[in-house]
Amino acid sequence: MEMPAVITASGLTKRYGSLEVVKGIDFTVTSGQCFGLLGPNGAGKSTTMRMIMGLSDASGGTLNVFGEPVKTMSRATKARIGLVPQETNLDPDITVLENLEAFGRYFALPKAVIAERVPKLLDFMQLTDKQKSPVNALSGGMKRRLIVARALIADPEMVILDEPTTGLDPQARVLIWKQLLDLKKQGRTLLLTTHYMDEAQRLCDQIVVIDDGRILDQGTPQELIDRHVKGHVFEVQKPHLAASPPDRWDHEDIGDSVLYFVHEAPEFIADLPDEAAYMHRQANLEDVFLRLTGRRLREN
Amino acid sequence: MQLPEPAYVFAVYSRQYHVWRKLIGSSLVSNVANPILFLFAFGFGMGQFIDTMGGMSYLTFVVAGMIAYSAAFAASFEMSIGAFTRYFLQGNWNAILSTPVTLAELLMGEVLWAAVKSLFSGICVLLVGLIWGGVPSLSGALIALPIVFLGAVCFACAGLVATAYAKGYEFFSYFFTFWVTPMFIFCGVFFDISRFPDAIQYLAWLFPMTHLVAAIRPLSSGIALDPAAILLHTGYIVLFSILSFAAAHRKLRQRLYD
Repeated sequence: MEMPAVITASGLTKRYGSLEVVKGIDFTVTSGQCFGLLGPNGAGKSTTMRMIMGLSDASGGTLNVFGEPVKTMSRATKARIGLVPQETNLDPDITVLENLEAFGRYFALPKAVIAERVPKLLDFMQLTDKQKSPVNALSGGMKRRLIVARALIADPEMVILDEPTTGLDPQARVLIWKQLLDLKKQGRTLLLTTHYMDEAQRLCDQIVVIDDGRILDQGTPQELIDRHVKGHVFEVQKPHLAASPPDRWDHEDIGDSVLYFVHEAPEFIADLPDEAAYMHRQANLEDVFLRLTGRRLREN
Repeated sequence: MQLPEPAYVFAVYSRQYHVWRKLIGSSLVSNVANPILFLFAFGFGMGQFIDTMGGMSYLTFVVAGMIAYSAAFAASFEMSIGAFTRYFLQGNWNAILSTPVTLAELLMGEVLWAAVKSLFSGICVLLVGLIWGGVPSLSGALIALPIVFLGAVCFACAGLVATAYAKGYEFFSYFFTFWVTPMFIFCGVFFDISRFPDAIQYLAWLFPMTHLVAAIRPLSSGIALDPAAILLHTGYIVLFSILSFAAAHRKLRQRLYD
């Protein structure tokens, strides 16, 4: 069964003066999907998210959310979206529990609904013990969890997460991933931006890689891996490289060594001289990302 | 354009009220104890040297001025440094704008709370003045309270304009020096403005504070009333509020959305 589209963007552009940061992108997020928007700093990810939330006006193209143009998005439609922003903008003047209650009021939820949901969300995000603490007493991981809980207060059909695990330790990230997978199981649509390719690979059904305001490619993580970096990566130290002519194997020179992207590992190993020093691993989304967006360092 | 709905305005108001209840100590000190100290200094200190002013005892004169000033100061502070902190430093406004609350509702909730809090300051000064014997007409003073509330709305909106244009906290030194302090000095809080040179008087009437003081003083002091004048002063305050709210909303729309 074809799932309905939650977000459709076509020819979407955003200009700040003469600077065009989103240069005509098309994508469709379908219901129940975890959709990853990946790209280096300054690629246009956050701007795209802001446009979806109605916080930034598109300069051109069309952008529909739940079938409504964002420009005229109704209050009822906005209430179907929960946002986990990149910055930590919890309310520091009130407690953990009160942060959730205040957000419930911003969604005009009845008192009884707030009273019923808040303990469940605290439990879901493992914050029940901290409910009376001021926000500033929380660790970075707890703050992120509270922001996720806050985004869920109105039981949204879609949750937009802008770099939800940036700056967290591995334990905290694993917990957030687990809860995000839970949200997906509940049938919610997730739209995620991240710099962490392991995160995208683990969570996302569909990925769009953008850079410099343009879509470089889109597909499932596996499709992208197959298409761009085959199945295996060999990092071979110079100067003992594969014996076959260079055009036999897909490769990339990264300075002291050469990366080979190959489907058939045994054949490739046979093609290496005996004295070759190499590392062999499964290709992953990180390889795709670096191949598509290049290795040039990005500044904020 | 989404029309403002009370539930969303009150959601913002309610957040402010909750925080105020937690920080009630510092709030009472700055908004209530502070004006009472001034009242003491001027009413008791200066009152010894000045018998009457504007056809009433100096204490009566100052009590009316201090009611207005305490409300003006509380509203100005809340909507400038207070609101800027929530907007700029704490990201509260960004968080709220990701919910169904609109910018207009957010600002209305902020202004409404600031005005209620400021009215509370004004009432405290009124009570002290009453006990002290500086409020000859209690019924008049009670009629003045809604005007004090409107005045507080006006100063809250003006503070919001400062917040809308502020790039950092330094900006508020201009706001306090060129807006709040003149209200204290030139608007008839402690002195009858008819003693100032004409040019200063014209300038003084531009400030809503002058109109607020002029509207409430005859009421609390029980002297002869000119209802038309009170209406005119109140009208100026309302007009000033609407214009400054619109200006603040417009600028903040540019800053918070892109």
